[in-house]
Amino acid sequence: MSLYKFNKSNEMFQRATAVIPSGISGNKNPAFAVPGSFPYFAERGEGCRYWDVDGNEYIDYLCGYGPIILGHNHPAVDEAARKQQAMGSAFNHPTVRSVELAERLVSMVPVAEWVAIGRNGSDVTAYAVQVAREHTQRRKIIMAKGAYHGSQSWCRHGIGGLIEADYEHVLQFDFNDATQLSDLVKQHEGDVATVILTPYHHPAFGDQVMPAPGFMEEVRRICDENGIVFIIDDVRAGFRLDMGGSNEYFGYKPDMICFCKGMANGYCVSAACGHMESKNAASRVFFTGTYYTNAVEIAAAMACLDELENTKAIDKMMKTGTLLQEGLRERAGAHGLQVSVTGPPTLPFMTFANESNFLRSQMFSGEAARRGVILHPHHNWFMMAAHEESDVMKTIEVADRCFAIVKKQFGD
Amino acid sequence: MITEILDTISGAIREPRLADLILADMHLYAVLPRLEELARLDEEAGAIARELDMTLEFLVRGGPRVVLTFADGKVTSYRMGRANTGLFFLSCDLLNRMFAGEDVTPIPFKGITRVGQLKKFTRLTEIMTRYLKPSDADMEDAAFRKSHVEMSLMVGLSASGVVADRDPRARRLVDDLRDGTIQYKILPDGPNAYVRIEKGVIRAFNGIVKDPTACIEIRDVDLAVGLIAGEVDTFAANGSGDVKASGDLAMADEFNGMFDRVGLYLE
Repeated sequence: MSLYKFNKSNEMFQRATAVIPSGISGNKNPAFAVPGSFPYFAERGEGCRYWDVDGNEYIDYLCGYGPIILGHNHPAVDEAARKQQAMGSAFNHPTVRSVELAERLVSMVPVAEWVAIGRNGSDVTAYAVQVAREHTQRRKIIMAKGAYHGSQSWCRHGIGGLIEADYEHVLQFDFNDATQLSDLVKQHEGDVATVILTPYHHPAFGDQVMPAPGFMEEVRRICDENGIVFIIDDVRAGFRLDMGGSNEYFGYKPDMICFCKGMANGYCVSAACGHMESKNAASRVFFTGTYYTNAVEIAAAMACLDELENTKAIDKMMKTGTLLQEGLRERAGAHGLQVSVTGPPTLPFMTFANESNFLRSQMFSGEAARRGVILHPHHNWFMMAAHEESDVMKTIEVADRCFAIVKKQFGD
Repeated sequence: MITEILDTISGAIREPRLADLILADMHLYAVLPRLEELARLDEEAGAIARELDMTLEFLVRGGPRVVLTFADGKVTSYRMGRANTGLFFLSCDLLNRMFAGEDVTPIPFKGITRVGQLKKFTRLTEIMTRYLKPSDADMEDAAFRKSHVEMSLMVGLSASGVVADRDPRARRLVDDLRDGTIQYKILPDGPNAYVRIEKGVIRAFNGIVKDPTACIEIRDVDLAVGLIAGEVDTFAANGSGDVKASGDLAMADEFNGMFDRVGLYLE
């Protein structure tokens, strides 16, 4: 096959840089993937595939960085959105759709006894920590090193646009080290409002790490003994492990949970959910945004959750994800390459075990993209329900060729 | 005149402002050590360095100290050691004003008889200023531009180590940086330099390191000039292929923030 070229992507990027800072902002900037070997601009999508502005077709394992959980252009979700659009979306008031979605989450998610609806993951993680502060009347937030909880000032990586006051009350510890957490809580006794964690550790630029046996239970105990609100940021993994929240998959109980990606198949909806004890505090935190009550997205979320449940989508993604993980391990081994395939099957990721600078990963991912498969070199991947076994098998074929290229370049 | 004297005395008595201290550190630990490269890059500077034979200490009250050794045409800088010639500055502010080109006279406290050598040293610093703050006419010359890039790159990388020590916001970046090396290459044939990060300490070196954790390749000297001047959007240059980054891009991106912090002080 002829390898993909990205001429129009490059042209478009030049146009973009004239009028948009960095050309493409944030994590979708080419600098964070493999510049020159990855598409920069998408054109359209269908099922588990999308096409870039050069007409190149890809099997998609990044899923818009998570939200595409059923498949691009899913008919049931899009139809629900269209039906609502015909009635209108942005009003002076919320529509009944908001109440319906909240009721739906309360009935489905054990942690949820109240629900606040936002648009993006950052909206609800920021809100959740504010609710925790309001509930406890304390200042400190504890999070795991390397974890991503959004782009708000309190948790954003780097220093651009930030002042020290933005993060002076944010403390960090190593995921799975309950002793470090306990020490931090002791050091700041009576001042820790919340411990916020992802359901398992999924940092960018690193392997995914599952909770060590007993770790989350220890977090729960420390929070209980010190009156700390335990928040799970399920923005990335939500509805890919368990419809009741990813904590249910692992078997532990937080006080609050946040959802976003995977909730509405690409329509922008997020939710913070919590126990009754924090509901009054949640009411006292002013939470709003211009589009928070838009009905189209909320109707899409309802349809998406229905579809996920009715089709047992998680089971399917587990199956195809397992096939992908096993296939990658087997093919890498056949080439004499050591890979580290981590994460649950529905959110797989792979790095090369004998490197810390991602050079093999970047070559592998760049070559895969030029052959029509998007497997990001630095960020975990996502399965969607639209992936069929045949798509995975094709992916493994492409991966096999890419492993051969890596082997030729690096030797092991 | 009286006001200036009072200013000087009060500057000497009070504790240095953090910004003054950081800038003084940069001048002594990141800028002055570049005489090492200057002696190699510039013919006149090389000739002067060969004529010099002294160890020169810069000592700042409440601030940094550095010892420059001139021997066999080479210049080496140390943060410790004995010197036979010494210049004392009453405050970080005074040192910084001298580096800014103001007429500031330090107090010689050792080797007063080496006036001739000190005059030659002053000429060296003038030449260095020419490379770090070049005129438009100088930048017409391709060889000069390359030397300007080499000097500026090493100043920037060395100064990153300084801000990492003292600047609270830079400290946040360093706390997130894992140990490793970041290589900077100007294509097609240099200059090249790299930083080694180890337990939060950053050190800069000339040349190429084997198996860097991250590598930044810049298309050519002219683009590097634009990057140094802050006229180029690095993310845009990366996407267009003018700057090629490989390896641990998160580390390279975090470290990029150090240059912004350095720029705030050195401007």
